[in-house]
Amino acid sequence: MLKTADNAVPVACWSCSVAKTPETLFCQHCSKIQPPLEGDFYSVFNLERKLNLDLAALEREFHRLTRKLHPDNFARATETEQAWSLADTAMVNDAYRTLKDPIRRTEYLLMLEGAQIGEEHSGKNRVDPSRVPADLLEEVFDLNMQLEEMRAARKLGETDAALEADLQTAKIKFDGLMADVDEQLKTQWGVWDQGDEATRKSAMTNMVSLIDRRNYIRNLVRDVNEALGS
Amino acid sequence: MAYSDKVVDHYSNPRNVGTLDKSTTEVGTGLVGAPECGDVMRLQIKVNPETQVIEDAKFKTFGCGSAIASSSLATEWVKGKTVEEALTIKNTDIVKELALPPVKIHCSVLAEDAIRAAIGDWKKKNGVAETAEAAVAAK
Repeated sequence: MLKTADNAVPVACWSCSVAKTPETLFCQHCSKIQPPLEGDFYSVFNLERKLNLDLAALEREFHRLTRKLHPDNFARATETEQAWSLADTAMVNDAYRTLKDPIRRTEYLLMLEGAQIGEEHSGKNRVDPSRVPADLLEEVFDLNMQLEEMRAARKLGETDAALEADLQTAKIKFDGLMADVDEQLKTQWGVWDQGDEATRKSAMTNMVSLIDRRNYIRNLVRDVNEALGS
Repeated sequence: MAYSDKVVDHYSNPRNVGTLDKSTTEVGTGLVGAPECGDVMRLQIKVNPETQVIEDAKFKTFGCGSAIASSSLATEWVKGKTVEEALTIKNTDIVKELALPPVKIHCSVLAEDAIRAAIGDWKKKNGVAETAEAAVAAK
């Protein structure tokens, strides 16, 4: 699926001068490498900004581009072309790593769409400081307290069967919470992919708060696993 | 990333870890979180009703070393101050004292938010009119 922006002006290939689509790594006419893309990671793979992706197709495209960009192919090319191939390889790698991971992909898309997400928006840079619901904080704080008590007791009492069972129960609970969040995120992916502007906006808000919630639960899962020594 | 000596000191010997009785009117509780990293911080103050001086402060933080050090330092600083004086503590003071790197500045912001939230909670309990700034932080 080839994407053309509304304001897409055909660009001439630097080598053969034939018009080409702006967002392409190689000229469709003479196959020469083009200057690095100015677009985002989706444009690297000519994809629309959607959250349900065909991962097998993405991987095939990644391998195809990586092969085409291999330094061996540019051994006799100009210095500029060699530099482009390196820059393109870096971008293709970053794009693939980001898009193949469901959470990173979601965070990336939210960021592209202007959501306030990531550490640079934490603290004073956060536009909406009331974003963390008080009840979620209470819940997370209580879960952390329980977990800490269990870990402290474990340190003292070594192998306490009851404690081990408590930790296992906690792990099942946290894993369950995580699975719930991921399930809800997937639902929002669908809303985003099929939605119009209004539903997309609400899907974005939902996904931002789900990602927040997920960060807290991720830490709990990590801590309980650590306590269990797994 | 290397932590500064002061961070390591507060992290290995955190001051004032613990809990105050949240049901009494002299105690204000602030619970804040940074969703970006999943840190949660609770800071509590015990205020003398006559003098409005913060006589005791406790914290409990689940998070990285910088978050723990920031809240530990915050409890040290608010003790002995009046609530109004405590509101003048800025996250930048914490950054300076602990020599926090840029990526950890949000930990100091969290500590400042926690102070404001605790004072806001205490003011609400005691029917003290909130300053505009504290009202925002306590929401």
